[in-house]
Amino acid sequence: MKPLNLIALLLFLGGAVWSLTRSDRSVREIQNTYYSAISPFLKSGSNIETHARAFLEETKHSKELDTELEITRQQRDRLRLIESRFRALEYENVQLRHALDFKKQTNFDVVAARVIRRNPTTWWQTVEIDAGSKRGIGTQLAVLSNEGLVGKIDRVDNSGDRSSVLLLTDEKCLVAARVEGSPEVGILGGQRGGSDGEPMLRLKYLSPNATVHKGQRVFTTGRGGIFPANILLGTIVSVEKDAFISEALVRPSVSFADLGAIFVVLSQDS
Amino acid sequence: MIRYSIITILLLLAAFIVQQFLPAFTGMHDSRILLVQLVFLCCAVTVEQPAMLLLAFIGGFFWDAQCALGPHGGDPAVYTQQVESMRFGYSILLFGGMGYLMQGIQPLFKQGKWQFSAMLSGIAVFLYLAGEYTMITIIRGDLTLTRATVLQMTYTSLLTMLFSPFIFWMLFGIARICNYSINPEAGRRRRQY
Repeated sequence: MKPLNLIALLLFLGGAVWSLTRSDRSVREIQNTYYSAISPFLKSGSNIETHARAFLEETKHSKELDTELEITRQQRDRLRLIESRFRALEYENVQLRHALDFKKQTNFDVVAARVIRRNPTTWWQTVEIDAGSKRGIGTQLAVLSNEGLVGKIDRVDNSGDRSSVLLLTDEKCLVAARVEGSPEVGILGGQRGGSDGEPMLRLKYLSPNATVHKGQRVFTTGRGGIFPANILLGTIVSVEKDAFISEALVRPSVSFADLGAIFVVLSQDS
Repeated sequence: MIRYSIITILLLLAAFIVQQFLPAFTGMHDSRILLVQLVFLCCAVTVEQPAMLLLAFIGGFFWDAQCALGPHGGDPAVYTQQVESMRFGYSILLFGGMGYLMQGIQPLFKQGKWQFSAMLSGIAVFLYLAGEYTMITIIRGDLTLTRATVLQMTYTSLLTMLFSPFIFWMLFGIARICNYSINPEAGRRRRQY
């Protein structure tokens, strides 16, 4: 081996060992510096993406309109267009009311946010949201949607207006859970690797003779200091038992494929 | 040579930003184009070993800075068996390993046979994902390898490999601008004819 290559290899290994021995705190600092450095690109990229999407939607709408005009060539089409616009507004209105009702119904102090994008990782399940420390968000706060528990805040950007959410479908996101109508409690978490279709959760550490069955709902217990109690997690799909333990496969209540508006729980009244 | 190496580093950093906007293909088991890994692999075959190791360090370091998860938190009395995190910096070693794999067929690349390198980039991505998954399994225990996971790794490798000719085309252009020959033997042969 050439001396220069050997020196380069030794420096590389030294750098790798240095990185591997960083503490959690140093890693967080490195991550914050990294995200601060790329945040201007992310912001402008998001703006371009939003404009491009709006442009494409506009193009799509005008194409649809052209087709309709060709077919009828009458005022009826204009009315149809107005009607479709009304429907969109009505739908948006229903959604907003739903979100508002959810905010009113909860006993928590929540902050509403939107999912900007899914983080580009293969094995970890995380998404970026458009709210951060400027709105009181910190790490280890529960994140909900109107369907149930979404996950928890994993990282807050230095910029103060973005955070990263570790989704419930990630193996590392563990939640103390109870089964509705039974004394059974366990720990719910995501499953490793890819999934065929929708992701499933696994409820572990149930007692060996657990009397749980398909169709029962699973809620948070409120123990563990992160997640509030009685938040819907999902529904049991199947139960696996052996001599020592029982586990249940749970379908999440939240549709993770199309996450839109979410709520970060700042504090709980209870 | 130095100018070319600096540009490859800048290209790798640019790949990190573009990667943020590349979506996952939900219909293909959430597979995605791993642009950062692809740019690194294509650059690795065109540079000397010290430059490749520098690229591997930068690639692995920033990849972990982008993806590393925080500690679990919560009451340890309730969450008694927490899921272990991967140590920050493990990707540096994976990038290094992939880089050496690519350099293994550098003689073929220097003869102008970049197609082999393009194919190997797909294989290297698959091995990278398999290595990462194996490390997760070793650290967290509980060996589970589902069909969906294998398909996710396969589709990701294939999708990533499809873009390698484009990256090589860019690298040939950059090399031309920098007056650096990344496949000198092929050039020599062309001149002889």
